Amino acid sequence: MARNAEDKLVDGDGFSRWPAYLGYALLYLLLLGPVVGLVLYAGSTRWFFPDLLPVTWTFETFWRQLSNARTQQAIGTSLLLGGVVTLLALVIALPAARTLGLERFPGRSLVLLLLFLPTIVPPLATGMGLNIIFLRLGLAGSLAGVVLVHLIPVLPYTIFALIGVFVRYDEGYEQQARTLGAGPWRILWQVTLPLAGPGMAVAALFAFLVSWSQYVLTLLIGGGRVITLPMLLFAAVAGGNPATIAALALIFAGPPLLAIALAARALTERTTTVGQQY
Amino acid sequence: MRVDRPTLRRWLMLTPALLVTGVLFGVSMYYGISQSLGYLPFIGATRVSLDAYASVLGGATPAGREFWAALGFSLWVTGISTLLSAVAALLLAVALSHRRRPAHQATLLALNANLALPHMVWAIALLLLLAQSGLIARIAAALGLIATPAEFPVLVRDQAGIGIILHYVSKEIPFLVLIVLAVLRTQGHAYAEVATTLGAGPWMRVWRVTLPLVWPGLSAGALLVFAFIFGAYEVPALLGVSYPRVLAVLALDYFLNADLNRRAEGMAISLIMTVVVVGLGLLVRRIDGSER
Amino acid sequence: MTRIALEHLHKTYPRQAAPALERLSLEVEAHTLMALLGPSGSGKSTILKLIAGIEDPDQGDICFDGQSILRIPAHRRGAVLMFQKAYLFPFLSVADNIAFGLRAKGVNKATIQTEVQRMLDLVGLPEMAHRRPAQLSGGEQQRIALARALVVQPQVLMLDEPFSSLDPAVRQNLQEAVRRIQRELGITTILVTHDRSEALAMADQVALIEQGTLVAHAPPQQLYERPPHRQAARQMGIDTFLTGRVTGTTLQSQFGPLTVSETPGHGGEALYAIRPEHLRLGHEPGAHSLPVTVQSQIYRGDHVEVQVSLGETVLRVRTNEACWSNGKRVFLHLPPEHLFLLKLPGS
Repeated sequence: MARNAEDKLVDGDGFSRWPAYLGYALLYLLLLGPVVGLVLYAGSTRWFFPDLLPVTWTFETFWRQLSNARTQQAIGTSLLLGGVVTLLALVIALPAARTLGLERFPGRSLVLLLLFLPTIVPPLATGMGLNIIFLRLGLAGSLAGVVLVHLIPVLPYTIFALIGVFVRYDEGYEQQARTLGAGPWRILWQVTLPLAGPGMAVAALFAFLVSWSQYVLTLLIGGGRVITLPMLLFAAVAGGNPATIAALALIFAGPPLLAIALAARALTERTTTVGQQY
Repeated sequence: MRVDRPTLRRWLMLTPALLVTGVLFGVSMYYGISQSLGYLPFIGATRVSLDAYASVLGGATPAGREFWAALGFSLWVTGISTLLSAVAALLLAVALSHRRRPAHQATLLALNANLALPHMVWAIALLLLLAQSGLIARIAAALGLIATPAEFPVLVRDQAGIGIILHYVSKEIPFLVLIVLAVLRTQGHAYAEVATTLGAGPWMRVWRVTLPLVWPGLSAGALLVFAFIFGAYEVPALLGVSYPRVLAVLALDYFLNADLNRRAEGMAISLIMTVVVVGLGLLVRRIDGSER
Repeated sequence: MTRIALEHLHKTYPRQAAPALERLSLEVEAHTLMALLGPSGSGKSTILKLIAGIEDPDQGDICFDGQSILRIPAHRRGAVLMFQKAYLFPFLSVADNIAFGLRAKGVNKATIQTEVQRMLDLVGLPEMAHRRPAQLSGGEQQRIALARALVVQPQVLMLDEPFSSLDPAVRQNLQEAVRRIQRELGITTILVTHDRSEALAMADQVALIEQGTLVAHAPPQQLYERPPHRQAARQMGIDTFLTGRVTGTTLQSQFGPLTVSETPGHGGEALYAIRPEHLRLGHEPGAHSLPVTVQSQIYRGDHVEVQVSLGETVLRVRTNEACWSNGKRVFLHLPPEHLFLLKLPGS
């Protein structure tokens, strides 16, 4: 019923339909235009100005990039890094987010301020500060060091997303299960996870994406020895062949798009969004 | 002081996150500030001085000569991108919030997909799209508007930062639209209905009802966007020119220099950037706080 | 002031099989309060949305004082809605909330100030002008919402379950305030509710709505004491119905012969009903009684509800004593003067 009321407000007495259509057109042009360009370039070879479309279509560049040992190694490093960071971030963020989402207590806003400070402070500054001490501790140039430094931007967004889940979470279900005789593990598996699971999956997804896209922090702490996909991509842009750049960019964009497709249901059914930035 | 069990439990739950954030962040700030002051005891440098700040803010060194231009360029690019994306996001969200459910779901999905795309991928796509021999130039040529690439306007790697601004506007609109839509979908319609029956026309609803309703979310989101753009390195590095540069590019360039003095200047620049965004954050919080 | 006429209103929502309203016609006299009473989902709220212009009917017409208003946009109809939640704009003070509608009309500042104060006095909260909505109790919020609605001098005031989320004491207090103000201003008002006693207490006319159709409408007392047919009687809380032929003053009911004082005037099938509070239980048979078995009893404070079985049928009786042991055989007295005739379906 409410749905229909929405339509009426636009159709009858308010704005006419066309601003909405114009809004849609603009939005989709903005969202899809660059992607179309990327795909065209990735599938092109010797595509010279002013040809409107590539003369010959080929996926050769794409496959060459994908079968390149360096690329494969970088994909592996990026996946491993993202996986470990996500897991760590979830374990650290869950208890904090549950407390912050469900409870109001003195000092709460101070805790929030501290946890979210890294989203305001440029990662460049934190990375530079850690650079020298990580060098001394032998963490620079190691995967462990990069995992630690990735946690700085990943953790706030994971906590933020999970607070969103727990704000809507009703502890009453857990209390109900306890009065029905369920122990802590049974409650976790049969009550908490089914209720909060989808939201947690989305949080995990975005944690992974923040780590996956990280460039500056990996550069500052990895010191050229931890080679992730963004490092390769940055180097490729300096190299200059559009088809190669586009192919590599598409490979880099693949996992995020795949993940979004998998999480489509959870993303469209939630009214709130994961406030994610990286 | 006696601590009761729920309080203890609550702080135990918060400990891991506070510890990791606090230690990593605290250590980085401590060593960052030390380094900018030239204090690095483990390499024998123990003289504390403000030399790096002095040469950045007013010195005759290369850093000093470029700093103010870079600050101005950073503020221009960041400010205009934030403003444009916030205004566009508000209008788009209002237009989209009324639509039927299936279309709405597709839009949500498209917005989330855009959010998921790494900034580097987006920057590269814009580069290929907007370059003088890029896709749009080709379309212009096909329409007979231009004959050679040189006739196409410089939209990326340009002096005014248009490419960078275009990048951030297109990438941040979805982020802010999602924030505004979330508010509108949960409570927007009831308030709009009430306002309508009280005699408010469509424009009055937007300015007097919708905007105030979404303002807390929109201003917080815009602040996040501002801080992010102001501190980001990759996009201006890919889409910018060698002069003027944004502060982040300048800072990293100096920091990666072998000369220790240059490194201290790079560190000082990044800390000045931190002061700017944190100061702005406090200011926005204060204005928002005094309004309610 | 405004007389409202709904003419053959028909409305089906997309992707819903049954219509929300089915060719419903109803008139609300000027200055009166009409209560729309019915179960949830019966289409009551849809009627309000159509009048307000938030929804459009598929067919039919809505007239204020004989003029169709369907082509007038919602924000110019002067039909103000109040909901279960007050929906005070959280970013505005109480005074600015009340002033909202006047600002929409472009009224000057001085007038706004005096009008806002007048409304605050009217709803009994003269000191609240500078509060924030969040600082008010639920009842106070609804009073401010009422002030905000009334200040624009609407043609019609529409209340959609405005009391149902309030505590009983606050609710009664606000019901009385709304009734007093409605009478004072003489504003045509439609109240949607699923609470029978609320409808009876507040309305000049009660309309019973079921499944998108008008079942009956009448003044409260008439509807309560003499509902016209079985459907209306059920909504008024009656569940004792007797059918059979009447010869002289004797009804040959399905439970046995009973004396009635009101007769149908024809020899055919007749339908009678009796309110639960008019039934009496006794240990001895009487002139107008039927033998029944006590099933259970519920203590309700001011009365005791006893459920008795009469063959296969279970009836509820209101009594004042709680001394009816289960399974006991007693007698149900049906005073002839309280048995009244209902219209038969199809007649």
